[in-house]
Amino acid sequence: MAKTSGTGTSATRRLGIVVILMLATLALCGLWFSAEDVVQGSTVRIMYIHVPSIWTAYIAFGLAALCSGVYLSGKNRSLAWDRVAGASGEIGVLFVAVSLVTGSMWGRLTWGTYWVWDARLTSTAFLFITYVGYLAVRQLGGTHRQRARRSSVLALLAILEIPLVHFSVTLWRSLHQEASVANPNAKVELDGLMLFSLFLGLVAFTMLFVWLVLHRQRAMMLEDAFSDRGLDVAITARRNEAGA
Amino acid sequence: MDLTPRTATEPGAQPPARKHRWLPILIVVAALLGGGVIVTQFLTSAIDYYCNVDEIGVRSGCDGERRMRVQGVVEQSSIKQADGGTTFVLDFNKKTLKVAYSGDPGGVFQECIPVIAHGRIVNGVFESDRIEVKHSNQYVEKNATRIDEANEEAAACSVLKG
Repeated sequence: MAKTSGTGTSATRRLGIVVILMLATLALCGLWFSAEDVVQGSTVRIMYIHVPSIWTAYIAFGLAALCSGVYLSGKNRSLAWDRVAGASGEIGVLFVAVSLVTGSMWGRLTWGTYWVWDARLTSTAFLFITYVGYLAVRQLGGTHRQRARRSSVLALLAILEIPLVHFSVTLWRSLHQEASVANPNAKVELDGLMLFSLFLGLVAFTMLFVWLVLHRQRAMMLEDAFSDRGLDVAITARRNEAGA
Repeated sequence: MDLTPRTATEPGAQPPARKHRWLPILIVVAALLGGGVIVTQFLTSAIDYYCNVDEIGVRSGCDGERRMRVQGVVEQSSIKQADGGTTFVLDFNKKTLKVAYSGDPGGVFQECIPVIAHGRIVNGVFESDRIEVKHSNQYVEKNATRIDEANEEAAACSVLKG
């Protein structure tokens, strides 16, 4: 078994270096090499964080639902699935928050307002609050298996919101624009280096997510082991007292 | 074997750290309440965010002198600013609406761009107290099409009017 320090391994450290390099390249492309937009000017650069953030949140919540489904349907019901789901949920919430904050900044500069109750923003706020609730439900107590069961059911229900958020701009009239890449017309509405910067952001943020999940689920494993160990110690102490 | 929690601790021993379960319960309750507020906003505001200019007086919810949100394209050469206010004409599907806005619109407000104006119709003029600029999903590099820029800008209004 490879020698580890904390929650990292040599593989995660290498991945971390690649993530840092990709984020640095994204910063260069987004802030320096890519041109301003004809209408928005430099405000367009917020997109290189805003879109990858919500993309990563979709992936995170998708992974949380997948792992929850595997946990509930599996024969051995390994808690590792639940821990990956929990870690994904936490990181997904973080990325939705980043997306909401950056979107709000972009809205102020482009629309002229930080927030409107249109279909996209409202459904995204609902997505955010649902997963904050999911994280709170995970902390409600009980055994690890009780935690895994109730949060898995919730994760499988909450994932149904993602299509609602994504297609809200086509289902209802919205101030938020339709997707520029994954749109129903299958037409890419971004010029050269803008598209490249956005694509780079998607890849970099996805890799950052993988790195974060690997660390967080290991930290969760240690937390679970710590609480299990505390129980074992208490039982052993009582057994010793009873035997004395 | 008795595994009930001890009440008395040994001399010098640290009391066991207790986890506060009220905090997650509080967050769950707050999430439920927040979710309720968001769903209410969704049903009352988000589903039907605006009326198009050509729907005024035609479509349900877009009639009379009630407060509403109207979407259209700012007509070319129609923007006039005087006495701290801004007037312009909104155009959509060959129908027009004169808008009087009490201030200087923010965002990237300009002619030939779709906007949503909040307000009500008074004597045939839409008196607005809030303007939101509706950006399209097209992102065009500033220097990429300099040669055709003038022609494209001239054609922009006719494309955006729907």
